[in-house]
Amino acid sequence: MSTPAAPAAPPPPPPGAEKKTITIVFDGKPFEVPPGINLIEAAKLAGIEIPHFCFHPRMSVVGQCRMCLVEIEGIPKIQAACTTPLKEGLIVKTTTEKVRDSRAANMEFLLINHPLDCPICDQAGECTLQDNAFGYGEQRSRYDERKRQYAGFDRTMIGPHVIADMTRCIQCTRCIRFCSEIAGTGELTFLDRGGRTLVWTHDGEPLANDWSACAADVCPVGALTTKEFRFRRRVWELEKTPSVCPGCNIGCNISIESRDRIVYRFLPRLNPAVNDYWLCDYGRFRSEPMNERDVTRVTSREGSEVKETTVPAAIERLATEIRKIIDSRGPSELFFLGSAHLSNEENFLLRKLADYLACGNRDVVVDKSRVRRMKSKTEWIEGDHFGANYAGAVDMGLTPGAGGHGLADVLEGRWTPDLVLVADAGFAAAADDPEAVARLRGAKFLVAAARTANALTRAADVVLPAASLAQKEGSFTNVQGRVQRFDRAFLPPPPARAHWELLLMLAAALGWGDRNWTPTDIRGLIRGEVEGYGDVTEEELAGGGLMKKGLFVSTGAI
Amino acid sequence: MTFEPVLLARVGRERSQSIDTYVSDGGYEALRKVLGGGWAPEAVTEEVKKSGLRGRGGAGFPTGVKWGFVPKDTKGQPVYLLCNADESEPGTFKDRLLMEEDPHQMIEGQIISAYALKCRTSYVYIRGEFFHGARVIQRAVDEAYEKGFLGENILGSGFSHDITVHRGAGAYICGEETGLIESLEGKRGQPRIKPPFPAVFGVFGAPTIVNNVETLCCVTHVMKRGAEWFAKIGRNEKNTGPKLYCLSGHVNRPGVYEAPMGLQMKELLFGEDYGRGMKDGRKVKAVIPGGASAAMLTPEEIEDCPLDFDGLAAKKSMLGSAAIIVMNEDTCIVDAARNLAKFFSHESCGQCTPCREGTPWLHRVLDRIESGDGRAEDIDLLEKISNQMANGMTICVFADAAIAPVLSSIGKFRDEYRHHVERKACLVGPRAAVGATA
Repeated sequence: MSTPAAPAAPPPPPPGAEKKTITIVFDGKPFEVPPGINLIEAAKLAGIEIPHFCFHPRMSVVGQCRMCLVEIEGIPKIQAACTTPLKEGLIVKTTTEKVRDSRAANMEFLLINHPLDCPICDQAGECTLQDNAFGYGEQRSRYDERKRQYAGFDRTMIGPHVIADMTRCIQCTRCIRFCSEIAGTGELTFLDRGGRTLVWTHDGEPLANDWSACAADVCPVGALTTKEFRFRRRVWELEKTPSVCPGCNIGCNISIESRDRIVYRFLPRLNPAVNDYWLCDYGRFRSEPMNERDVTRVTSREGSEVKETTVPAAIERLATEIRKIIDSRGPSELFFLGSAHLSNEENFLLRKLADYLACGNRDVVVDKSRVRRMKSKTEWIEGDHFGANYAGAVDMGLTPGAGGHGLADVLEGRWTPDLVLVADAGFAAAADDPEAVARLRGAKFLVAAARTANALTRAADVVLPAASLAQKEGSFTNVQGRVQRFDRAFLPPPPARAHWELLLMLAAALGWGDRNWTPTDIRGLIRGEVEGYGDVTEEELAGGGLMKKGLFVSTGAI
Repeated sequence: MTFEPVLLARVGRERSQSIDTYVSDGGYEALRKVLGGGWAPEAVTEEVKKSGLRGRGGAGFPTGVKWGFVPKDTKGQPVYLLCNADESEPGTFKDRLLMEEDPHQMIEGQIISAYALKCRTSYVYIRGEFFHGARVIQRAVDEAYEKGFLGENILGSGFSHDITVHRGAGAYICGEETGLIESLEGKRGQPRIKPPFPAVFGVFGAPTIVNNVETLCCVTHVMKRGAEWFAKIGRNEKNTGPKLYCLSGHVNRPGVYEAPMGLQMKELLFGEDYGRGMKDGRKVKAVIPGGASAAMLTPEEIEDCPLDFDGLAAKKSMLGSAAIIVMNEDTCIVDAARNLAKFFSHESCGQCTPCREGTPWLHRVLDRIESGDGRAEDIDLLEKISNQMANGMTICVFADAAIAPVLSSIGKFRDEYRHHVERKACLVGPRAAVGATA
């Protein structure tokens, strides 16, 4: 009830007619909008922008910024749209002179103490204050007094990730409400009052919840920024690519923000069913590791000598080794290890390849992490894998086939295959464990695709440089069973290639599949073969339309 | 006809704060009458409505009507009564006197009001700076418990009631009823968005009525002597009952005076029973009739100026908390406006942009004008800033209050502002000569 914008009782429908929408008249034109939303959201649906700062669809309505002023027929005074309850027949005027003047007045108040130094502010380009100043403010200010300063409260790290600069704050309290209402941790609060009001942490305790950087996301201005991204790139230079967070199996929807083949940051991408508007700090800061690459060359060990080679040559050598083993000792001496970090398409190709060679020795292992939590629109979701796609890998059939061996057999010394193909050298902690690697190394031939070096790549006979998440396309299946597509932000640096591409090359060399297949084609195969994936259409994967490149949500597999 | 004080009748009496003297002076009789005389709660509300009692805190809303806003079906929620003792309007000091000198008068009214509202628990939200008042009220509440006027089954009537005294932390805005409610809940003192109004969604989410100290004291007398008696006091049927006036400024005898509602301003300032005229025989320059947030009046406007809700509304000012601040001809009006702007700048809660940013802006411009750095365009600027702060621009009416002294002083004393910006000096007062050569 502290949020009066949420109407307690919708207006009684006329008898006999079950009405699912209500009619709001915006600037003379009636629009049908669903009940239970805020007037600002209703206007947005009608294609009308009501400028605002403090309103956020997932937070309580506080009506403090006073930017969303509109005229409501029947009420003489100007009204804040966010606090106006929706009701049938509401007549809203957003273009009158009074509305224009009131918004301009409010912009003037907001700017009098705000440093007008956008060129050196990191928020510029994605600053609501900047946008609204251009859209609704006056060119000139009449303020000719000293601007307010916050000595001791400027440019300070208030937590492991967030830097606060109160001179830029417009006191909208979104960050405070994020911490108290979404994260439920309540680190932030208002201090002092009136023109000296500022946002800070309680008793100097750090802003250190698992989602702390979301406080900077919801900040409409440059008052809260993240240490990791601050001053690294002007935001308008960044390319945004819809993707899925590689941090855990919740599969939060993200936007990869990159430029010149460098990932600068991850931002949450709206998906009410998974991560809503949010992203946890752990996942968000997987962005910088995206740029790591120390496997830059295709290497092939011959005898005691490690030589640089090409991808086709390495693939050919691998195919030759496989054929040799099949001819001499049979396919049961091969072992294919998939990964919870690889896409459905890649794991599917690996399993298909094993099937084609009549080999049941295949596996994928859980890469366990601590429990991570994410709040969707309706519920908390928990994930506890480092890999984003264990569920998908299992769905793709990467468990040992009938009579086949798994990774445990190898690591526990019950079985030593002749050839081990590790599709992703970062499949789990075991890949950097000398004992486990020694077991795998027991094979006559060990091959791995990798982006970063570890004990496994140092031990392998053939190492193929592979793409990062940002460098390839695919889909993950999250802990809810939701299939979500991620796009490629940029190409991997040659000679590195996407894992699926390497696998396709190998399959083609062995006589199966088509070298020219794309992930879309592979998804077509998955749709035809894998139970539960038949309904996941490309339209659904690409659909949604909440971001420029789409929402990429599917409900088909749930 | 001399007026027999009602609210201040016991002020000055020896040990006026003690329950013994209060009872021996006829105290708690109204409560006995209500609880023992077959008065239904609704009947008490009706009686208060009939008395014409209007809230004494500032807005002047009819008390009985306000009580009637509590929903009949509260859906199992309790009803709360809050006594607003956060008296902090500059120039106001009547509630403090009532609490410090005759606390039981208020407590009796509070218990009766609680009965009318079917309220089990009520609070006294007392201004943080009222250390002494809080002690007196707490002692009185303790005494009332001892004598059985509070607690379970009061006077065998079956009605039970508890009063908790809660001290504020020193914020003017907590006198605004929803700011008070937030503060009482332990939150930051910031007014709430209305609707929902407190009578439906108040403290702890339950229906809540907030009444001023003087209002509750009046309830005691309405129930003691009847609505008809109460309604006969006062200028007309819309402005009834006894009223306390806080007279301060350049008069010979400042203080709290009780008179029938609608006392003439001139009588309060110059009457033998009241202010006894201007100090040192100086002339009146301006009068603020209802606390800092009321528009100033000129000497012409205080002629035939009844001090009641409608009398002052007719002069585009307000009775407010009935704090009459008198300024003589030597007062620099810009300095006075600056002082008030400083107060409002200091007390803004800071949640709404126009008020948070506008009140310090007004103060700074006024400061500049007063200190001789004013410019010709500053006067218009002050008016423009003021006009874009209020009338729906903010959640509560604080901004409307803050601009009242600025707009009224410019409207009525523009020459003095002009003199400041042109001559860089005050027209009158101790700094009149400063910078006169500039």
